[in-house]
Amino acid sequence: MAKPKVATDWLAGCAGCHMSFLDIDERIVDLLKLVDLRSSPITDLKEPDEDGVDVGILEGGITNTYNEEVAIKMRKRCKILVALGDCAVFGGVPAMRNFCGADAALKRAYIEAESNDDSAKIPSNPELSTTVPVKPVSDVVKVDVFLPGCAPSADAIFAVLADLANGKMPEVKGEINNWH
Amino acid sequence: MIKVNVNEKLVEVEPGATVMDAAKKAGVDIPTLCHHPKLHPYGACRLCLVEVEGARTLVPSCTAPATDNMVVHTDTPRVKKARNFVLSMLFSERNHFCMYCQATDGDCELQNAAYAEDMNSWPFTPHYLPYAVDASHPDFVLDNNRCILCRRCVRTCGELIGNYTLGFEERGSSSFLVADSGVPLGESTCISCGNCVQFCPTGAFLDRRSAYQGRLTDLTHTESVCVDCSLGCIRDVQTRDNRLVRIDGALEGEVNQGLLCERGRYKPFREDRERVNTPLIRRNGQLVPASWEEALNVVVTQLKANGSDDISALISPRQSVEAFNAFSEFFRDNFQAKQVGLLNKEQTAMVGVKLAEEFGLFESPVTALQSCDSALLLGADIEDQHQVAGFMLKRQIEGGLKLYRDDECDQPAVVDEFKANATADSAIVLGKCFVKQDNIQAVRDILAWASKTNVKVVLLKGKANAYAAALFGVAPCDREISSQFTYMALGDQHSCQNTLACLEQAAFKVVQAAYQCDLTDMADIVLPAKTCFEEEGHYLSGDGKLNLNRQALQADNQAKSTAEVIALLAGKLGLTLKSDWKAALTKRPTTLTLAL
Repeated sequence: MAKPKVATDWLAGCAGCHMSFLDIDERIVDLLKLVDLRSSPITDLKEPDEDGVDVGILEGGITNTYNEEVAIKMRKRCKILVALGDCAVFGGVPAMRNFCGADAALKRAYIEAESNDDSAKIPSNPELSTTVPVKPVSDVVKVDVFLPGCAPSADAIFAVLADLANGKMPEVKGEINNWH
Repeated sequence: MIKVNVNEKLVEVEPGATVMDAAKKAGVDIPTLCHHPKLHPYGACRLCLVEVEGARTLVPSCTAPATDNMVVHTDTPRVKKARNFVLSMLFSERNHFCMYCQATDGDCELQNAAYAEDMNSWPFTPHYLPYAVDASHPDFVLDNNRCILCRRCVRTCGELIGNYTLGFEERGSSSFLVADSGVPLGESTCISCGNCVQFCPTGAFLDRRSAYQGRLTDLTHTESVCVDCSLGCIRDVQTRDNRLVRIDGALEGEVNQGLLCERGRYKPFREDRERVNTPLIRRNGQLVPASWEEALNVVVTQLKANGSDDISALISPRQSVEAFNAFSEFFRDNFQAKQVGLLNKEQTAMVGVKLAEEFGLFESPVTALQSCDSALLLGADIEDQHQVAGFMLKRQIEGGLKLYRDDECDQPAVVDEFKANATADSAIVLGKCFVKQDNIQAVRDILAWASKTNVKVVLLKGKANAYAAALFGVAPCDREISSQFTYMALGDQHSCQNTLACLEQAAFKVVQAAYQCDLTDMADIVLPAKTCFEEEGHYLSGDGKLNLNRQALQADNQAKSTAEVIALLAGKLGLTLKSDWKAALTKRPTTLTLAL
């Protein structure tokens, strides 16, 4: 049997969950014996294979239309979708924005930030995606495995990936279910 | 007795017990958020829903009375589904994002409940409605965004403290917690006892000093008696890296039952005095650092130079029984010092012990105040000192307790009215303004009246170890007595006019103190003392119960405890201290039976 293919990507997150993934240290060698790591922010390939992967992993919440596109593409191309970390599972830190609204947050960051001068303006290029209320990945596409944590521990990530590599549906509970 | 079957286990409970009580007896854990063992059942959170055979709906186990032959299931798929739904609704209502909450990782009962149900995501989108944060209070912050409307704080404030500061405005999911009629907490009738913060299951109350200082479960917890007043409240002193982080009331505390007052909980954090770090000797008018050896040698020389008539030894009522024991043996038994006194103006404990010779065990424990139908406060301070005794009375006013107050002992009409209406369930609380040597006849009269009518008498004995001091025969110091040599074991006590006057007149002054103050400024020798958190020792509560003040912090300077210093001085003089403090405590008649 061919090794299951795994693709990962990040949305509105801090990359911390991917850093935690790398924290599995030398176990990554064992893992790579079991899985074929395809696209990810830490490999050269940036998009999941058109003919699909077995496992898709998304870090980060949905904050704009671009995040939505990435999530939808990943869902279309993977069999099992994992929401990795509190932002992907709950909305997380970016969801703080919902309490004040995107406009106020953009104004605070681009106009009122202490380091800005008078020329500061909110980026408005039509090429840019537009903001949406921050939501978890599961509000846009169906998620099969939720692995919360800020960030999930390397052990939790390894446990879930090892299960998936062995063709087992992981159960996120007990020790590895820690939202922080 | 009522027979209940919980998860196939048969238990018997008293009539009036709830389903939750029965489950507890059966060893079955039912999750809950609004329920607290010290509060009346309320049924706000619905997390404790269980299935009762024959019942149409699931029932909240915290409020449902157990009935005979009831069959209860707490872990069926139906119950688990309901529990998950309740938690999902709670998480969707406000800002319950754990990753930026100070109560996360073990300190939050909501999060723990979710873990227990293996919840790893929220099925409902949260309702992003922000609430204002009230940061007007110096000790804690109220964040309605983290509130789950369980009303534990409101019930603590009302049911247990009797203060009724906290309440809810609006209804349903728009309900929010307010102080009084919506004023900032810092400007409200809040008495800063902080019990709401301790009882809150989530991060809605944020303790300013312990927030973001690590999980409470990771702190070092030391169960210790509070050494502010003599009630003997037990507190949970929480430290980290030799730093005081938080103080909570211990639920097991017989007197306080988990509660603390502002003085016990927050006062230690307001400490801003400078420490005395090394022994100091006055040379050419200036206090200069010296070694213990040098400083104690000077003390010994001075002690030898003065006759017993010239020596005064004064000790703080915040010191331990062990300190009193060494102190009185050294100065009274060996030196026959003219005065071995207590740095305290309150005479309640001393006069009480004196009256025990006439009246025997005339006193009831302070816990007797927990249920009485009327109470007379005679010169008793329950608003600054002895606040926890005040809570016992205040919380009963709603239920009909009639309180008669004669704070300044100048309203005989109030006393007469109390006497006219008193029953066997009435209590008299005597305090420092009434129980004084120069008022002893009035005290005798009221004790005689109380013993005739079977009305309970409680004596508020003032500072932490004042009762033990009285039993050691260490009476409040007399500022009129002047001595050549005065030794003052101040510990971490604050100085006051009285202590100042006691010290001023001595030609040679030794002050053993944890903090610099006007007394140390005046001293010839200053010896660094430990704070109450740095030394271990016993304290006798006003109820005659011996409690242990355990060491929670290590002194990071040269401080020594009073008992250690006295032992060193005795060694230099070739004396051996051998008095047994337990035996010493029982030499005098007591006002109630001691539990040593």
